[in-house]
Amino acid sequence: MARDVAVVAVSQTPSYRLFNDSEAKLIMRCVNDLLTSTGLERIDIEFTIAGSCDYLSGMPFAFVQNIDGVGAWPPVYESHLEMDAAWALSEAWLRLQLGDIDVALVIGSGKSSPGQPREVFPLQTDPYVMAPLGADPVSLAGIQAQALIDAGKATERDFAEVVARSRRDAMGNPNAQVAKDVKVDDLLQAPYFSTPLRKHDLCPISDGAAAIIVAAGDRARQLTDTPVWIRGIDHRIDSHHPGLRDLTDSPSTHIAADAVGLHDGPIDVAELMVSYSSEEIVLRNALGLDGGTRVNPSGGPLAGHPVMATGLVRVIEVAQRIKAGEASRGVAHASSGPLLQQNLLCVLEGGK
Amino acid sequence: MPGIQDVSMTLEFPYQRTTGPVIGPFLTGLRDGKILGSRCGDRVLCPPLEYDPDTSAPLDTDLVEVGPGGTVRSWTWVVEPTRKHPFDHPFAFAMILLDGADTPLLHAVDAGASDAVSTGMRVAAQFREERTGAITDVYFVPEGQAKAQDITPGEEPVTISEHLIGLHISEPLYPHRVRFAQGLLDGRILGQRSPASGKVYVPSNGYDNMERTEMTEADDVEVADRGAVSSFTIITPVQYYGQKETEPYIRASILLDGADQPIIGVDVRDIPVDEFRVGMRVQAVWKQPDDRDVAELGNRFGGAWEGVIDRWEPTGEPDMDPRPLQEFAF
Repeated sequence: MARDVAVVAVSQTPSYRLFNDSEAKLIMRCVNDLLTSTGLERIDIEFTIAGSCDYLSGMPFAFVQNIDGVGAWPPVYESHLEMDAAWALSEAWLRLQLGDIDVALVIGSGKSSPGQPREVFPLQTDPYVMAPLGADPVSLAGIQAQALIDAGKATERDFAEVVARSRRDAMGNPNAQVAKDVKVDDLLQAPYFSTPLRKHDLCPISDGAAAIIVAAGDRARQLTDTPVWIRGIDHRIDSHHPGLRDLTDSPSTHIAADAVGLHDGPIDVAELMVSYSSEEIVLRNALGLDGGTRVNPSGGPLAGHPVMATGLVRVIEVAQRIKAGEASRGVAHASSGPLLQQNLLCVLEGGK
Repeated sequence: MPGIQDVSMTLEFPYQRTTGPVIGPFLTGLRDGKILGSRCGDRVLCPPLEYDPDTSAPLDTDLVEVGPGGTVRSWTWVVEPTRKHPFDHPFAFAMILLDGADTPLLHAVDAGASDAVSTGMRVAAQFREERTGAITDVYFVPEGQAKAQDITPGEEPVTISEHLIGLHISEPLYPHRVRFAQGLLDGRILGQRSPASGKVYVPSNGYDNMERTEMTEADDVEVADRGAVSSFTIITPVQYYGQKETEPYIRASILLDGADQPIIGVDVRDIPVDEFRVGMRVQAVWKQPDDRDVAELGNRFGGAWEGVIDRWEPTGEPDMDPRPLQEFAF
């Protein structure tokens, strides 16, 4: 029987096109915000875990300087993932299952603005047969989108509708980078960038950070009147060879959905890590979402994509809606790797 | 005198990977003008794998030739190629099911224009003049445009795959770094005094990492260009990729007067190694204003002292007691 773990406090910076200062400073803002809102001292945090990407920062061990944002003293019990911080949350949840500690801090941060994301991310792909081609996630998303069209599962208009809805919803999100009311017909007039995708089908390049405090059982109840419980968290992976997959589906998402008991109850809200509009079609189908679920009310990553924090922001957005009483049960999704290669699901629920 | 510029650098990692019993022959095949796949039950996988992707059982390492023709299963037209792409003009990335294979290969199709590409179209392999045993030795064209090629096989099998990663990083200097850089050009060393602890950090990161407090221009303070050696190391260079040094040299930490944090990694060339010691008082000898250059100054660590300071020389003052300096080693 798993120990109950809840999200007790959340913080995120806006998504900036360019934040002209250090990643550590972004993190510092989130950490100070969390300590203020919970009344915790830094010494009360028993485990700290961060997700960030040294390749994006352009410096080996850049993640070490990020710890400045947490405070250099007293020493922290710290772990780091070269993964989106949603995976850091998964590790924090696992760490709290050991039962000897109750409070953990999870941080995600990334600055995509200094580098060339389309040149960095091919390094995630197979080093022999893909990376030397510069196989970038934007081009691979274009291939996936074309496969969806060829399979009759989506149209270019479907992609544009995802974009229009996301950008419109983002107008209510103070942290969004791209928020405006745009017409689908106007979007469809734009030139292609990675056929059949247009630039607006792609997530923006963003700088930003996010952090949350999670706590176990009664400690969570002490720290907040509105704990948001993690009812299931699971992540799965598909082959890194795109030729071995049906690109119009996401088998790893199906498996994760079963593992977290997604369909054991209604889902009021889903925040999905849709980095390209076409991915929303794949994910909606894989998760079996219907009209009863509001998808990406924050605008999602198409409105702001602070790489390495983006997945954790999905958890934050769902938790905030549950805290506010707008939803009682929701799912956060995070992805890593091109073509939705790795998928994480976290089912969240309100209640004492 | 070069002014203050954006940070611009290229980060390079030269990777060499062994190729193993399947990728090695596959890459050797490409160099020799052939595309090879592996047998997996009654399927043929291309690119070939060492293991069955479904059961993880080892596969036969005897590869079979596939292609050179194939069919596009899905594709995208790349309007703005990156520097890492196989072509510097627009092209298609496609999933190509090669004749004789059962799984498609991701590769590039040089088709001229997007309306020349469609799902189901026939393409054929073309090999580059210069081949090194890499996936980039081949590319694809619409089948009707394929030219016959006479390819001379190489000699030794390909056992190593080389991949030089080069990432461009470019960003503005952060505001506090701009002020620090301007100070250096003016012959002044700027730090910041923490509003939380009163400690002076040089050069500042723009925050106090002990107190988790951000600092602003109002916290800027000037410190002396002289101080005491608080730690040092003598580095004997190893000739790794990118190494420019050949002779042993000193890298020192110096606690400047008025600072609570040493400047680190300071390059010292003009004080003999056997005279250098912790506690020694030293002072900066600045370059002439027109010769000062902060182009090497980035947003992280360090002060690019070598661009503005000609050398550090002993002041001749009595040494400081080395014991309290232990707190300022790094």
